[in-house]
Amino acid sequence: MSEPVIEIAGLRKTFRDFWLRPVAEAVRGVDLTVERGDVFGLLGPNGSGKSTTIKMVLGLLAPSGGKIRLFGLPPRARAARARLGYLPELSYLHPFLTARETLRYYAGLSSLGRRDAKARTEELLARVGLSSVADRAVGGFSKGMARRVALAAALVSNPELLILDEPTSGLDPIGTRDVKELIRALAKDGVTVLMTSHLLADTEDVCTKIAILSQGRVAACGRTTDLLTRTQDARFTVEGLAETEARALADELARRYGKPVSFDHPSVPLEKFFAETVRAARG
Amino acid sequence: MRRFWALARSAALEALAEPLSAILFLVALLAVHLLPAFHLHQFGEPGRLSRECGFSALLVFGLVFATSAAVHSVGRELESGTAATALARPVPRSLFFCAKVAGVLAAFALFLFAVAGATLLSIVTSEMGRIVTQGDVVAWGPGIAAGAGGTLAAFALAALGNAFLRTRFCVGACLLTALAQPVALAGVLFLSHSPVPWNLLPALAVLALGCAAFVAMAGAFAVCLKPAAVSAVLTVAVLLAFISPLRAVMPDINRFWLVDAFAGGGAPAPADLCAAAGAGALLVAFWLAAGSFLLARREIP
Repeated sequence: MSEPVIEIAGLRKTFRDFWLRPVAEAVRGVDLTVERGDVFGLLGPNGSGKSTTIKMVLGLLAPSGGKIRLFGLPPRARAARARLGYLPELSYLHPFLTARETLRYYAGLSSLGRRDAKARTEELLARVGLSSVADRAVGGFSKGMARRVALAAALVSNPELLILDEPTSGLDPIGTRDVKELIRALAKDGVTVLMTSHLLADTEDVCTKIAILSQGRVAACGRTTDLLTRTQDARFTVEGLAETEARALADELARRYGKPVSFDHPSVPLEKFFAETVRAARG
Repeated sequence: MRRFWALARSAALEALAEPLSAILFLVALLAVHLLPAFHLHQFGEPGRLSRECGFSALLVFGLVFATSAAVHSVGRELESGTAATALARPVPRSLFFCAKVAGVLAAFALFLFAVAGATLLSIVTSEMGRIVTQGDVVAWGPGIAAGAGGTLAAFALAALGNAFLRTRFCVGACLLTALAQPVALAGVLFLSHSPVPWNLLPALAVLALGCAAFVAMAGAFAVCLKPAAVSAVLTVAVLLAFISPLRAVMPDINRFWLVDAFAGGGAPAPADLCAAAGAGALLVAFWLAAGSFLLARREIP
């Protein structure tokens, strides 16, 4: 088995005030392992320690205790950070730079050659749908457009690990769906993704593994399907079955197994319905 | 090197893109260009008022421009989160800090270039005035027109660029006004053939090095203090710099202020210039090292 991409053991973080008195214990002994190819969702209510954990993984905050290894290296090792891309919770961008200049700037920070930077910039602008506004200053962009620029900036170095803090924040449903498809496509290409989100449906749609943090501790962790599937129950979907036939079938199953049987009619997810409606309206 | 260049370029652009920068360029240059009009107050020597005010403009407006840009570039980036997105990449913190300060110093070098050009033109214009004022006719009109008119024309050109080509107005205004100064000087010299006091330039560069030490200091304080607190600390530092109780680490302004040596046709001794330049470079290096040290230990929320 290959080395984990992120290995966190006994991680703790206590924030202190100017006089070094403890103010808040944000992370209280977190253990996590993110394997290569995982799309790992870090969930939890506000103040549960998600962003603090991510910032310690990025080497921006120093842990008060415990251990973090990124590609087997300490988080502040340049070799480790050269292999990751980061999308922060808010799209922190220089407002005076254009979208194209922003991507070139981040390409420069990743030491991409001039020709590679140019090619990668144009490819990503097209991928996030901003080619037509590439020469506009990002300070005048909507929140969703700025989010797309920030996402493209995170991808500019072709990272092996992508850390996404609330990736769909500020995006409309179409943009959200595009981002989710992008995450799935990246995962298919072997990119490991660690993401946080308040939108549980988004996380459920794309994450292969999840961990739920509460009060700085891991409350649950595992494969998404393992955590969410109720193996003791069963649900059937029969196409083209009328209400009366379905009720008769339910009664028959209840009589045969001596257990209560319920049935419902499947519905399409609102996101899919919305996308289809908008697409139809646009012709 | 690519990382350094990317960070320094963005810091320089950010410094010039601030509206305050364009205002300071405009006010400082117009003030220097209009001085020859005060031909009745020459302090006993034509050109002296222009020379001393040119140095003062560099010191006062330059310090305000460059230190505020350094605080913005380092402090506000750490506060706003743009620094976090850069430092999450393979960018060493010392490189981040040094590149940011270098970018601000590059913008300050443009200001120095503009003020130096304006000061030389203003002195030449004052000399032209001296030639003719004996007959109660002053000849500073063309010099002032070239200097002030060139500066205003540069702003107009920047506005046209912004309107029709969507170029950044403030950046364009700063760049074009800086370029306008040597053009105006060359135009006036073509008409008058007056001597140009080129020996002022090393003394201006030494004063700029003294200012650069304050810029690096502002950046270092901005790593650990809020922008308002940095402004307070810098104000105290500048006041202390005039009485120089802490020469080892505080830029002693008297050491970099060599303009007095030009009085009565004199010039600063090369040894004084070299000593002041060396002290300035050492102070810049000290504050760059201090800022890098502080940033390496700072947590970035």
